[in-house]
Parts: sequence; C-alpha cells; structure tokens
Amino acid sequence: MSIVEERKGLIIFGAILIIVLIVALAAYQMTGTMGIEDRYTTALGLPPGEEEGGETFFGFSAEGDPVLYVIVLGILIVGCYAAYRHFRI
Amino acid sequence: MAHIHLEDGSFSLFWVLAWWIIALCFIGVALVLLRSKYKPEPKMITIAAFVTAAAFAIFQIQIPIAGGVHVSLTPLIAILTGPVIGTLVILIVNILSAAIGHGGWGLVGANVLVNFSEVLVAWLVFKAMKKITKDLFSRAGVATFTGLLAGNLVMIAVILVSGIQGVNQTTAQILTGLSLIAAINMGVAVIEAFLTGLIVAYIGRIRPDILNGDRK
Repeated sequence: MSIVEERKGLIIFGAILIIVLIVALAAYQMTGTMGIEDRYTTALGLPPGEEEGGETFFGFSAEGDPVLYVIVLGILIVGCYAAYRHFRI
Repeated sequence: MAHIHLEDGSFSLFWVLAWWIIALCFIGVALVLLRSKYKPEPKMITIAAFVTAAAFAIFQIQIPIAGGVHVSLTPLIAILTGPVIGTLVILIVNILSAAIGHGGWGLVGANVLVNFSEVLVAWLVFKAMKKITKDLFSRAGVATFTGLLAGNLVMIAVILVSGIQGVNQTTAQILTGLSLIAAINMGVAVIEAFLTGLIVAYIGRIRPDILNGDRK
C-alpha cells in the first residue's frame, strides 16, 4: 500500500484544514476583532447591544449568568455520576 | 460552531413557532425511534449524560480568539451517541443554555435544527469515511468540518427565511454578513476538529465499543 493510500484520511483532513484556514483568515481580515454578539448585530444591521463586562479568566469568559452556569453544571455532574454508578459504561 | 446568537424578539412569533414545531417533529421522531427501533443500551444513557454535561460546559465558554468564539462539540455528540440520542442531547443543551441567558428561548427551536444538522451530517460523514480510511482522527476531523459547515449553512438559511424584525438590511447584505460569520465559525472549527479527532482517536484506542458512529 502506498503512503498516499495509507494516509488518505489525513490528506483529506489537511486539505480541508488549509482551505478553511484561508477562508477564515480572509473573513477575519474583513471583520476584525469582534465578540460573537457584535458580529451578529453588525451582520444583521441591528442596533448595538449593551456591552457585557463580565469577568474573564485569561481572556476566557462564560456566556450567560456565571452563577447559573456553575449551578447547572454542578447538577449535570451529579447526574453523570448517578448515571455512571447505575448504568456504568 | 453554529448557533444563532440573537435575542428573543429577533424573529417574528410566526417563525419562532414554525422552527419550534419543526424541531419538535424531529424530537418526536427521535423519541419514537428510541422506544421502538433503537432502544439504547444502559451504558449509552451514561455516555449521553457525559456528552450533555461536556457540551453544556464548553458551549458557554468564550475562547479569546478573533474577539470571542466558542466550540459546541456537536460532532463529538454525533460520533459517540448517534443522531437519535444526539437530537435529545442538543435539545437539552440548548434549553439549559437559554436558561442561563445564552441565546433567547424563542430561538431554541431554530438552534436545535442548526445543531441537528451538525449532528446528522457529522455522523453520516464519520460513517462514510470508514470506506476511505480507518484512521479515527482524520475521520472525526473531516466529520467535524462537514458537520459544522452544514450547521452554518442551516443557520444562514434559517435567518434568511425568518427575516429579522426591525432591520432594514437587504437580503444580499444579510447574506454577506452571515457568510462572514460562517467563515469565522469555520476557523473555530479547526480547533473543534483537532479536539474531536484527538478525543475520538483516544476513545478508539481504549474503548472502541463506545463509538456509536463506528457501528454497523
């Protein structure tokens, strides 16, 4: 089996990756740095919304209410633990 | 990833109901299939719980790239649980996201359809790629790219069909703006493709039996 045949999957993946990166970088050049909501309001011509000045952790931030996020995530983790104890994997 | 980041009131009531009804039809079909043809094994319930928690956790985190983006893990949901259980997982993730203020309640139906297209296409491509290669990383990576591309196209279609209340943009202007969002989203898909590829390759090494998309 030739190397091309062997690595067909990776070659397809790499080709898509390169095309996607070129298109994404071109789009980024056109729009510049912008938050997700700002991208939508600009694209659709909506009036700019209020700035969300939430706390960030090294630039990472949670969308929505961070307290509710932690509560819901905690419930999901408890649910996962219960499912794992009951059903296993 | 694709997710309609608009507030309630952006779509008219007609389109909010229309997308909800269509989404409920898909969910209804998934529930019927789960009760008849695809009765889940007990371990699948645990896997579904884990991917729901993981998708919810990661869905809300804005990554500081290009001003703020986030990944969705919908292709991973597809590969691990399949499109039937995956439909229910994305419904729960979208409801919980709306509950904490990430996206409007009225847009949950439309967002379920966007995410459903990602799950379905990613699952189909992951299975189809098996004929080309056995390498799980590249299969999952390509499935992620195509799934997320499908999600972005559905997102654009949903917004164009619904129209946005209170804006005077022409369809061409909206299409241009949304195409740029889709292109940026696809850039984020690179991160998601690597993430999904690595996770699937790792699971394939240690527990190949839990890869739903690898079954016949």
